[in-house]
Amino acid sequence: MKLKTILMAGVMSVAGSIVAADCAFENTVEVRSLSAGFEAWKAVTDAMAECGNVEANLDQDFREKQPEAFAANPSLYHIGGVANSTMIPLLTSGSIRPLDDLVAKYGQNLTPNQKITVDGKIMAIAMMVNNQHLMFREDILNDLGIAVPGTYDEVLAAAEKIKAAGVVDYPLGGTFKTGWNLGEEFINMYLGEGGSFIDGNNMPTINNEKGIKSLETLKALTAYMDPEYLVSDSTYVQQQFQQGKIAMANLWASRGGAMDDEAESQVVGKVKMAAAPMGSAAPASSIWWDGIVIASNITDEEAEAAFRVAMEGMDEEVVKANNDAAVWLIKGYEPGPLAAGAAATAQKGAKPYPASGPMGIMHTSLGNGISDYLTGAKDAATALADIEAAYKTAAKESGLID
Amino acid sequence: MTARALQQPTSLKIASGSFLAIWSVIAAFPIFWITVMSFKSPVDAFDSNPLNVIFGPETVAKGNGLSLFDIVFGVVLIYFVIRLCMQRLPALVERHSPGGWLVLGWIIAAALAGVAVIFLFLGVFPVVSNVVNPLLGPLGTAVLGATTEHYYTVWFERGFANNFANSLIVTAGVVTVSLTVGTLAGYGLARSGSVLAFWLLIIALIFRALPHSVLVAGYLPVFISSSEWLAPILGENAPTLYGKPIAVIAVLVAINQPFTIWMLRSFFSNIPADLDEAARVDGCSHFKAFRLVIMPVMWPGVITTGLFSFLLAYNDFLVTSLLLDASNQTMVPAIAGMFNRETTTTDQVVAVAAAVSITAPLFLLVMVFQRQIVSGLTAGAVKG
Amino acid sequence: MKFKTFAAFVGPSVLIMLIFIAFPLISVFWQSFNLTQPIYKTIEVETCTPGFLTQTCTLETQTIPELDEHGEVITETTFVGLQSYRNVLELDRFWAAVSEGAWSKLQTIDFWKALRFTLMFTLVTLPLVVGTGLLIALCINNASRAIRGPVIFISLLPFVVTPVIGALSINWLFRGDGILTAFLEWWTAKDLALFAQAWTIELMMMFYRVWHVAPFAAIIFYAGLQTVNQDSLESAVIDGASRWQRLRLIIVPHLMPLIIFVTIIHLMDCYRAFEEIVGFSSQGYVISLQWLTYDFLVPDQAGNRSVSRASASAMLTMIGIAILLVPLLKRTWRDHRGTH
Repeated sequence: MKLKTILMAGVMSVAGSIVAADCAFENTVEVRSLSAGFEAWKAVTDAMAECGNVEANLDQDFREKQPEAFAANPSLYHIGGVANSTMIPLLTSGSIRPLDDLVAKYGQNLTPNQKITVDGKIMAIAMMVNNQHLMFREDILNDLGIAVPGTYDEVLAAAEKIKAAGVVDYPLGGTFKTGWNLGEEFINMYLGEGGSFIDGNNMPTINNEKGIKSLETLKALTAYMDPEYLVSDSTYVQQQFQQGKIAMANLWASRGGAMDDEAESQVVGKVKMAAAPMGSAAPASSIWWDGIVIASNITDEEAEAAFRVAMEGMDEEVVKANNDAAVWLIKGYEPGPLAAGAAATAQKGAKPYPASGPMGIMHTSLGNGISDYLTGAKDAATALADIEAAYKTAAKESGLID
Repeated sequence: MTARALQQPTSLKIASGSFLAIWSVIAAFPIFWITVMSFKSPVDAFDSNPLNVIFGPETVAKGNGLSLFDIVFGVVLIYFVIRLCMQRLPALVERHSPGGWLVLGWIIAAALAGVAVIFLFLGVFPVVSNVVNPLLGPLGTAVLGATTEHYYTVWFERGFANNFANSLIVTAGVVTVSLTVGTLAGYGLARSGSVLAFWLLIIALIFRALPHSVLVAGYLPVFISSSEWLAPILGENAPTLYGKPIAVIAVLVAINQPFTIWMLRSFFSNIPADLDEAARVDGCSHFKAFRLVIMPVMWPGVITTGLFSFLLAYNDFLVTSLLLDASNQTMVPAIAGMFNRETTTTDQVVAVAAAVSITAPLFLLVMVFQRQIVSGLTAGAVKG
Repeated sequence: MKFKTFAAFVGPSVLIMLIFIAFPLISVFWQSFNLTQPIYKTIEVETCTPGFLTQTCTLETQTIPELDEHGEVITETTFVGLQSYRNVLELDRFWAAVSEGAWSKLQTIDFWKALRFTLMFTLVTLPLVVGTGLLIALCINNASRAIRGPVIFISLLPFVVTPVIGALSINWLFRGDGILTAFLEWWTAKDLALFAQAWTIELMMMFYRVWHVAPFAAIIFYAGLQTVNQDSLESAVIDGASRWQRLRLIIVPHLMPLIIFVTIIHLMDCYRAFEEIVGFSSQGYVISLQWLTYDFLVPDQAGNRSVSRASASAMLTMIGIAILLVPLLKRTWRDHRGTH
């Protein structure tokens, strides 16, 4: 409420933007990027903007706009921020270019791990990985003498004990929001059971023992969750953790940093990370990556500038300044305790998310179809059969199956 | 009519009065509540004890609070602002705007009023409060937590001012074009009793029934590739319509057109046709009659219809979020973006502050135009 | 008015609507009977993605669209008749459920589930909006002049507030231990979870819609009340008509055109309910027809969208609105013929 502080802050912010940009070169070609809007992208695009002539669009509708905008000639954007699944439409429609030449010229600092290769050609540069893994309240588990659960049976047993002790509102949290989140939960479980989603002819293969087992595990978990689980997304679960309302959840690694944020978390230092609980075959989780692609419908000169700018955005300094914003793949990243869960999950053999055209349809069908089972409107086998039917209708419409 | 005959029994008066009171609480509560939330620290804002949200102990503890004097002073200020807007402003505008420029006059007046309010509460209020509070002792100590830091974050760090400007461009464009085109069409439809006119109205109604999501998704690929398919006509300078406010304005005008022409048609139907026919007998063309006879009396209806266009354009989410770039985004999709980002609790309160910021101009608008809405509607802008 | 003059007056408006509504509408209509698909080929690809420390490479068969020499996806369009409509309506499952008499089974088929909710939502909120609106208008009209202004001002707020913001604030107020949920819990002395079952969500959505739209009805009715013929009211009083009779026989018939206007607008908007579904994230429990259309249309991560089914579902939505509106439009037709 003090005018002086407001004015001072205004002056400071103006001064802040004048501070010399620390970019290795001065970019003179107009470069535009389109990506999602989460923290890591904000850090990377801010660093890119320091090179000058960069316009970064952080857009929640990027998924919808990207395929059309990159297919235009000339492409509306030069740099695209993608994840393993959102790269698929750009890749299959040929609207992103191979990066081998540019990597040879400007990519000295890239680790081999960052180079996403398809058919032997580098098509994208990854900057971070993400997966869902177990986060738990160490204090509660210690007090009740519970060992860190390694399987879902142990998770359920621990949840029962926590519930009996009554120390938190709900023993478990979960990103079960109908749609993409719920679909992802099933995919994690089903991968953990060692299942496959689609066969060589693009036909669905989820209506089996493994599918039913996955559904049953999901339903068993919901008994220990906030009854409003079908509307709870990652932010909601994160807040439940911060406010001390839940004791365990399988949550995205990128959310780990928020647990120790002193400004809003009441459980600083109490939340610890562990590998995602094991299914019969693998950890019930899938590994995702985020990274950049360069459009093909632009001139080589623009592509070169765009790539150089992107490399500036993904350099060591950015990572050092934003160490806990993500599990970075870039040199200079020092995995802290918050990254332990993500690393352990991967070491135990978690699979990459099986991104492909048909899988996109499968994910949507799962996301829309599972809630009927969880609310009790259908039994497990019917739910899976209906999901397969929905998948087949959509796949037929897009021409993937006859 | 004798006053006695229409006099209401006390029971009816009490019943109707208490109904209005309850309704007012229900109507205003959500807006009141998010306004309160936006001034608190994140911990207070999402506290499950309502008293903590209102008094904000955490916020006071951080040194941001209002004293009793501040509150009284603030309430008095608000009261006078409302009084001025409701009673003085309409007369002032009518006196100072030349005939035919009433709308512009109102726009300027509303903008000035907005600036004045901001100046009063961000400029005058803190200065006075800083001077007076230390002199008052116990009356001057903070009791009510309030912080403007979230507003500061929204407007200065998140570049919301840019979104605000974009909203203004889109809204002003939609209102102007929509009314110009709609007034002509509404008049034409009202004065033509032909079957064609009727079918136009019915078709317009069917257009209004079309789900917007289908329309908008259809525009996206066409707008993105517009420089390719416009090139044969416009050559080198063919624009990419995607991301251009002008494209969004055109789309919103079209979407809003059915409602606009329906409202204006029924408004014009209520203006006696003898008026313009008399002018026509004197040798005026239809257009001249429209300009000389109808234009001077059409403003109440046009203002009311314009307000509906304003609301549509200002509040639109579907069209603006899909057809605009992040760099020229309007306020509503910008707020939605703030939520969909991987948010922290602080971010959420910042978004609440943004939500209040977007509501504030609407608040002023209703305050200023309230009478015009009612009189415009009464004059017959809606007649089935 | 001569046709030429008429055309000059309505021309710009019609042109805008033709370009931006009629043309897309025709394309939606056309797409609902056709299917545009890329031509696919199957290839073996090795994909390498990051693990921790080292990459994982997998060799898999993938189905990808073929590209032409300009690097664009080759597509072919086929006429499929009513296939997309059949895919949306899922008639075989519908009849199976109907012949079993299993309502709950019917409610697991997307389109019928959405139709059930949309119709119920529309038809339940309609009388509530008209009724509440009328009540508010009458009460304001009854109130003394001094408080009319402020009350109208407050009443208008729910109507003008941005729908996205309105839905969000309901979320803040009710989600989890939101302030109003906490209040209801205190009042009923029960632990409530309002987002945990369909009926409470539906109830909240209806409440929100009435809260949002009733002011619109109220302000229009209030304007109408200003023009009630005072003479006929007066003679009614002299004839000894009760307050209720005056309302029923004079005021309501006077407001009838306005009631129909509000009804038309409300039916159209409500039948296209969409914001509520997104704002309340109710997809897991209830969906509406426009949400279904939207869901077909939004590409998944891999860029697939069901344009044909979306078009069919949009056409069905429009047909639904048309059916609801016919009786009201008949009246408008009579009025239109009557006034000229």
